Amino acid sequence: MEDRVLLRVSELVKHYGDVRAVDGVSFEAHVASVFTLLGPNGAGKTTTLEILEGIREPDAGEIEVFGARLKRITRDVKQRMGVLLQDGGFEPYLKVREILRLFASFYENPVPLDEVLAQVALEDKAGAQVRALSGGQRQRLAVGAALINDPELIFLDEPTTGLDPQARRNMWSIVTGLKERGKTVLLTTHYMEEAEALSDLVCIMDHGVIIAEGSPRELTRAFGEETMIEFHAEGLSDAAAGELSACCKGFRVDGATVTLETKDLPTTMEALFAWSREQDVPLHNLIVRQPNLEDVFLSLTGRRLRE
Amino acid sequence: MKDVLFLARTHVITAIRERITLFWFLVFPVFMLVLLALIFGQIGQEGEINLDVAWVNRDAGGSDPGGFTAAVETVFEQLGTPQASGQLPLFTLHRPDPGEDLDAFLEEQLTALRRGRWDAVVVLPSGFGEATYARITGTAEPGEGAPGVSVYMSETSVASEMAAEIIEQVLGEVDREILTRAGRFDPSLAVESETVWVGASDEETRYVDFLLPGIVLMGFFVNGLFGVPGAILFNRDRKVLRRYWVTPLSVPRYFAGFALGHLALCGLQFVLLYLLGRYGFGATISFARPGAALTLLLAAVTFMAFGFLIASLARTANAGMATANILNMPMMFLSGMFFPVGGLPAFLKAVVYANPVSYLVNGLRLSLGVESASFSPGLLIGVPLGWIALSVVVASRKLKWDVER
Repeated sequence: MEDRVLLRVSELVKHYGDVRAVDGVSFEAHVASVFTLLGPNGAGKTTTLEILEGIREPDAGEIEVFGARLKRITRDVKQRMGVLLQDGGFEPYLKVREILRLFASFYENPVPLDEVLAQVALEDKAGAQVRALSGGQRQRLAVGAALINDPELIFLDEPTTGLDPQARRNMWSIVTGLKERGKTVLLTTHYMEEAEALSDLVCIMDHGVIIAEGSPRELTRAFGEETMIEFHAEGLSDAAAGELSACCKGFRVDGATVTLETKDLPTTMEALFAWSREQDVPLHNLIVRQPNLEDVFLSLTGRRLRE
Repeated sequence: MKDVLFLARTHVITAIRERITLFWFLVFPVFMLVLLALIFGQIGQEGEINLDVAWVNRDAGGSDPGGFTAAVETVFEQLGTPQASGQLPLFTLHRPDPGEDLDAFLEEQLTALRRGRWDAVVVLPSGFGEATYARITGTAEPGEGAPGVSVYMSETSVASEMAAEIIEQVLGEVDREILTRAGRFDPSLAVESETVWVGASDEETRYVDFLLPGIVLMGFFVNGLFGVPGAILFNRDRKVLRRYWVTPLSVPRYFAGFALGHLALCGLQFVLLYLLGRYGFGATISFARPGAALTLLLAAVTFMAFGFLIASLARTANAGMATANILNMPMMFLSGMFFPVGGLPAFLKAVVYANPVSYLVNGLRLSLGVESASFSPGLLIGVPLGWIALSVVVASRKLKWDVER
């Protein structure tokens, strides 16, 4: 990540009727970095991105991109941007190569088609119609269309939503590759593991405002020296759950998942095993882990990211 | 410019690969041409016939010592009377009102014939009865013949040809009556008739020549009314437009590319219909006239603009298709595309006058010489241009590139 700021957003506001979808959002994205807006559905991530992509106009606020201060995104700026929409479509009867050629015609300096096809691993599907592609292949095609102009700034709106684990990993490697090539990626996601794996900087959004900002490590460090213990316990009684407070400083029960926070792992583990025997509650899928962004979001809002 | 060309190419490729679009663009108009040419090209071979014939008797009230004028009048009278209950008469006769100026009436009837309202106009000349009697009785001056019956026909109408054949048979019957009364066979006593072809062309015009321009326009009309909003609105619903929107592609260039592709498809459709009409049904009509080419272009652009208008006002693709369906029937059938609209009641005529299709249909047939002008040249061009301007202004203001939230 370079120190140079490529995109600066100040006090961005967008209303839909009485709903304040984006409520004074400000952040900076640096050159050669992955900047992530993380939050649940309806947090305002996509609206923020759509303003930056030029789809919507803000009600207030300022955007500084490529060194120019703008009220809204111009066509000149779009020449240097690439956009992967959350729900954009393609003509189903066009072939992969035809679509990329069409999108290439919109830009002054497009990348050779074969280069883009290789970048998104669609060389074998160049002659296939869109309707014959899998979900993952369509998403890679969408990324290819977003990269056809070799953009400096790339918006990826929920790029892995609905993809299977393998397709998700493929997308992650594309994003990592972009960063390595010096591109700036602005990503939205509601997958905390995606944000942790890819991001240099994360803004956690909820109800149109940014509630926390920093690198994944900085955000989770807010939990200090604590370690998380997690296990599954079906049908846990209130009485048994209440006894857990003797094991550690804090715990929470989310459905069948029980999570404990501790600074003293050996002591807490001993107490937990004792509790398991006394209450006759087996500790299924027991894991010990570091705090993650899900824990951060939960501690800030009292809700899980995917609720 | 390359973006416009690639968009045009995309539009053409998609239309050709998408079967439903291909059906409306190519299969449907071809089907209509084949169907109408086969059915109406054989009109009169079977089924009930009712022909509109204007009857102008200039000899009424004149001297008719042999009763020949009255006899001819009676024959036409019978043709205008149903032969059985519930059956239509062979002729529906249109006569002048008592005391009406015959010259003005005749002029009106000829205009109606040109516009396709009537199938024939028959004029019995002044002095017919007296002259016929004089020839039979041998009292006519040497070389003096009876004035001939004039039969006006539209060269663009099969029904008109049929009416002329029937009238010829009627006059043959009158000839036999005259010869019977004369008691001798003398061809010089036969009633002379003069057939006057009404129309702009001197060439023989076949029904398919009349039909083909209408089918071409119908094809353009369906493309514009259904194809344009369909393509735009389905692409909007499928979020394809949204994806274009985040690129530097501008709205006018998108429209330009779309329009170019659409016109290319119209051109392809025209070529196919023309070849089928010419080599499948023997059409002799030539579109290689500047007026016809310009009218075809004007029609394609007008209908496309109308499609833009629908696309801009509809919230969804389904709503756009429903709007097109509602407009389809009145616009197509109240235009003179398939049948004459001169005899419609006043409130429907208002629709005809507001309908751009009326002007384009008449303009194309006029430029091809198969129909006379029903509107002034200014209106023929001005009304479609007015609709184009209105549609473009509304579409550019109202068209949304994204589904509403």
